[in-house]
Amino acid sequence: MSAELTDDMIVCRCEEVTVGEIKEAIREGARDIVGVKRRTRAGMGLCQGRTCEKLVQQLLVQELGISPKEAGTSSARPPVRPVTFGELAKGEVL
Amino acid sequence: MLEKDVLVIGAGPAGLAASIEAGKYGASVLLVDLNMQPGGQLFKQIHKFFGSSAHRSGTRGYDIGKQLLKEAEESDVEIWMQSTVIGIFPGNKIAIEKGLDSGEKEMVTMQAKKIIIATGASENAIRFKGWTTPGVMGAGAAQTMINVNHVKPGQKIVMLGTGNVGLIVSYQLMQAGCDVVSLIEAAPKIGGYAVHAAKIRRAGVPIRLQHTIIEAKKGADGCVCGCVIAQVDEHFQPIPGTEETIACDTIALAAGLKPTMDLVKLAGCKLTFNGPFGGYIPLHNERMETSCEGVFVAGDTTGVEEANTALEEGKIAGISAAEDLGLLTADAASDKRAEIWDRLHSLRLGPFGERRMIEKEVVMDEYKERIGTPSPIQ
Amino acid sequence: MALINTGYLEYEELESIQTLPSDERYAEGPVAIIECVQEIPCNPCEAACHFGAIKIGEPITKLPTLIGEKCVGCGMCVARCPGLAIVVVDKTFTDTTATVAFPFEYYPTPVVGEERNAMNRKGEIVCKGKIVKVVNPASYDHTPVVTVEIPKEFADEVRTVERI
Repeated sequence: MSAELTDDMIVCRCEEVTVGEIKEAIREGARDIVGVKRRTRAGMGLCQGRTCEKLVQQLLVQELGISPKEAGTSSARPPVRPVTFGELAKGEVL
Repeated sequence: MLEKDVLVIGAGPAGLAASIEAGKYGASVLLVDLNMQPGGQLFKQIHKFFGSSAHRSGTRGYDIGKQLLKEAEESDVEIWMQSTVIGIFPGNKIAIEKGLDSGEKEMVTMQAKKIIIATGASENAIRFKGWTTPGVMGAGAAQTMINVNHVKPGQKIVMLGTGNVGLIVSYQLMQAGCDVVSLIEAAPKIGGYAVHAAKIRRAGVPIRLQHTIIEAKKGADGCVCGCVIAQVDEHFQPIPGTEETIACDTIALAAGLKPTMDLVKLAGCKLTFNGPFGGYIPLHNERMETSCEGVFVAGDTTGVEEANTALEEGKIAGISAAEDLGLLTADAASDKRAEIWDRLHSLRLGPFGERRMIEKEVVMDEYKERIGTPSPIQ
Repeated sequence: MALINTGYLEYEELESIQTLPSDERYAEGPVAIIECVQEIPCNPCEAACHFGAIKIGEPITKLPTLIGEKCVGCGMCVARCPGLAIVVVDKTFTDTTATVAFPFEYYPTPVVGEERNAMNRKGEIVCKGKIVKVVNPASYDHTPVVTVEIPKEFADEVRTVERI
């Protein structure tokens, strides 16, 4: 929010994505949470963006001067929480 | 395939209330939750609740939790703990990673005529230099440590945020035997209830308004050994030259919550952005039904509030699901909902609540305009 | 309101928002002081009082009002208030001392006869206090009500004792 942001500061802890990498993604054309996620993997880790999505949103707002609403929200796909292949393989086919 | 009338996801106050209501009218209910114990946040809320007599006010959160679990049992609700819904598919088919008594997991697929999503909210992170240092944690996490696991997160705590979470958790940390060194708040006034703030002040703890944390200091052990705070201007920017260092071993962040939306998104529910409610939330009507037919929402997932409103919204969702299953006449359901909306209205009065009352109306008006009639999960 | 800026109430401010007991009422013995000054949806104090001395009514966000003549200073409301915002003050305890009964949810719970520093709303030590009563029945649900004896002149100021 207010603290000084250095490029080496971690934003997405699961995927170890830094402020610098997210700013780079924005320079390359990312315009929302999904755009940053596709380019950097921020939000693709274990927590699926529960911690970093808001921080990525703040960076987008700050860098592009857009509203939090315009920064959007990530899409969800199954499995929304981590499961092992073994468990998946044993399950029924829907 | 396993079939149930109602699947409720999330066994916090909203999910439990929804399960109890739906079960009471004869629906077969499966309630799943990924945690070890049902109750959501209730079992870490060791304080006495506010509210009216109708909302068991003056009762401690964990006692309300115990009461709800008893009622869930009486309503024949089946509860699966340590079980995670990982997918919601067309035809109301659900994939659940079920926790077994052996500690192992098993994939189960099932079909539910109605789905109630009550997955709550998660804590907002705040970034500052060193925010990933061990010892920096959410206030809710610190509260779980002391009140559920009976472990102190540290001895000297700095709390960022003076909303009710920041104030209540600070108080409970002191009750657990920690020293709360200071509360830090960027705004020019305390965010939460004055009576909570008064407890903190009475105990001799300073509340530093118009300040923020700009750095977590890392000690030789790699963990937090202090934090640097600074005064902020009216745009919440730190004012150079005002920095000071506070010694502490834990920094707790109470910077608000955001609704947990992954399953709502997965079901394909239409969303709206609402700042006061914490960000993107599912559009819903006064029956708590989303844009997806047969998919209901309740509690913090629909916008961050508190346990009492979550309970009431959960009841509405349970009643509406029972109505759509033909277990309750439309008239009876609508009368019951009206009663609950009256109680919700009274909870959303006063300077702290009226904004939420207005925003709820906005969400439901937008539903009428954009959705009107819900359609099946695509 | 200073309270939301500082976290504590000045007595004058409390006086301007809440109905406090009259001097005559204080002269009759123990009486409740309700330090609840914000319109929040909460009313358990109203039901806690068996004498009908606390009134909120509808809507429940209204501030509680104390009816001094009806209050017997029993302290039921002290344990019941979720905000820990009610104390019972007795300015007639002795000629020179008063007592303040307040909720105290920290360990160790004070014991009768113990001397502890008495603190004001800001958490500043005001004077020494002697614990004269500790009540903690099951109906109080883990909120002990502790009574501390202090010099009379500090009766409007002292609201708790130091944690140890």
